[in-house]
Amino acid sequence: MYKRLNQLSFIIGLFFIILSVILIGGYLLSEALNARINLYSGISFLVFGIFMVWVKSGE
Amino acid sequence: MKLHLADYLVILLYFAFVVAVGFIIKKRIKSSNDFLNSSKTIPLWITSLAFISANLGAQEVLGMVASGAKYGIMTVHFYWVGAIFAMVFLGVFMMPFYYGSHARSVPEYLFLRFDEKTRALNAVTFAVMTVFSSGISLFALAKLFEVVLQWDFDVSIWVAAGIVLVYTFVGGLTSAVYNEVLQFFLIVLGLSPLVIVALQDAGGWENVKANLQPQLTHAWKYMGSADTNPMGIHFMSLIFGLGFVMSFGYWCTDFLVVQRAMIAKNMNAAQRTPILAAFPKMLMPLIVVLPGVVAIALSQPGLADKGYKIPVDAAGQLDYTMTLPSLLSHYYPSGLMGVGITALLASFMSGMAGNVTAFNSVFTYDIYQAYFVKKRSDRHYLRVGKLVTLFGILFSIGTAYIATSFNNINDFLQLVFSFVNGPLFATFLLGMFWKRTTADGAFWGLLMGTIGAAITHGLTIAEGKGGWISPMFPISSGMGQAFIVAAFSWVVNFFTTIFVSLITKPKPDEQLKGLVYSLTEKPKYKGAKWYQQVVPIGILLLIITILLNLIFF
Repeated sequence: MYKRLNQLSFIIGLFFIILSVILIGGYLLSEALNARINLYSGISFLVFGIFMVWVKSGE
Repeated sequence: MKLHLADYLVILLYFAFVVAVGFIIKKRIKSSNDFLNSSKTIPLWITSLAFISANLGAQEVLGMVASGAKYGIMTVHFYWVGAIFAMVFLGVFMMPFYYGSHARSVPEYLFLRFDEKTRALNAVTFAVMTVFSSGISLFALAKLFEVVLQWDFDVSIWVAAGIVLVYTFVGGLTSAVYNEVLQFFLIVLGLSPLVIVALQDAGGWENVKANLQPQLTHAWKYMGSADTNPMGIHFMSLIFGLGFVMSFGYWCTDFLVVQRAMIAKNMNAAQRTPILAAFPKMLMPLIVVLPGVVAIALSQPGLADKGYKIPVDAAGQLDYTMTLPSLLSHYYPSGLMGVGITALLASFMSGMAGNVTAFNSVFTYDIYQAYFVKKRSDRHYLRVGKLVTLFGILFSIGTAYIATSFNNINDFLQLVFSFVNGPLFATFLLGMFWKRTTADGAFWGLLMGTIGAAITHGLTIAEGKGGWISPMFPISSGMGQAFIVAAFSWVVNFFTTIFVSLITKPKPDEQLKGLVYSLTEKPKYKGAKWYQQVVPIGILLLIITILLNLIFF
């Protein structure tokens, strides 16, 4: 895990996964964030984030 | 606008990541070459995305949306006439010289090809230009914060510049490049939902077209006369001024972008960097031009029920620069608003850090080491590089205040480019492809070209700008003025360089090997698959670009 922090694709993936947690979590828990566009964007970011974490970027 | 806790969380998350990237990279910085040049270790996918992200600063994002609203679909010419052709040319023809000569910067290539005085002239003008570009990014961000978040303009400038300073100071060029890739994805993914919801709200592309004057929805149809299109420019001026002089001048000679290809691992990767970057670049109008066109459609009486209007400034004029922030404010709820604001922050940081790191390299190698303190230890130049980072950011803050007098920051930036990049491309074109070009020819051509740009600007007036000698030639838009200034400066440089070269002595052939086309062995990629070769991908790109021009004719 620590070694992978040197891989940019992993860092980008991690960033978007945390971002998706904020959006999806906010959609589920907060009235102010309860808009469908937050949910759809959050899911898209989650998929992209998982892909970037999974991919080996050859660095 | 009031931000929710979630919006602040997203902004803080972004700040934490960009600073963390800087500290992760810090371990790799052992020499001045690591700090200023990344020691040519960056993978192709990163150099390609950094190549376009370095150009995806606030002026690109806010400025192109502003231009989309002001000039309509004609703004795509910056991509489909300008950028793509120039990027292919850079990859196929020019990278072998930049990479093969082992120059550390574009001014250093000029030193190898010509002489010291040509390098000095280019290094100084480039340094001034990067500081201006960086200042415009800073101005854009501070204005955004002032309007959207009601933050104090001055405080925003100093706080934001401080964050860029941290990650460029600790991680140098590699940190800037890595963050540029993160910023690229954030900008594209953060603004994509806006394009979708705004276009859907406007009733789709067909309804946008139905609500706008046809001049705003056709790229070429109304360019037969300068009087019939919103940019106020004839198609020949556009093709020569933007498509040839300005775009080739920027993409092929501006060290800010060329540097991203020069740090690739090998020649093939260096050549493919701009060519692979051209694919996402081709689609960028969807993110940065389309929202502007949709915004001006939504401001028309036919779509008044949607409740959106482009903001006006204190004089009652449409404030195009604020088009994107106002769209974000109108369509994004809390949460995604934080992502949108952060995407704009990312564009600012990407632009500013890119300029500051390019300024670093040029100042340290081509000004400080070349003329002031030669032959000191590497540790000394590493320290100087870091100090220049600090001063580069302070200069940027100063230029940010100059940018406050322009209502469309993109026009302002194009004007700066036209003074510096316009004439420069003539120098490179002749220097790389005509071995008879002499050092004196290049120097005087460059100098006269820049003076020519200043004189043309002084004799033309557009939107109250220019005409400082005599406002003899009125032009209807600042953008059109920039094209004409660039075109004249290129012509002055081109013919001055040829004339002076013919009456001065050229360098012998043995000193020009690897620096000019006719004396350089061309890279060969025997056995490589078609997508690993630059020419087949370049041809594919050009075909797609021509098709896009035809579709939006």
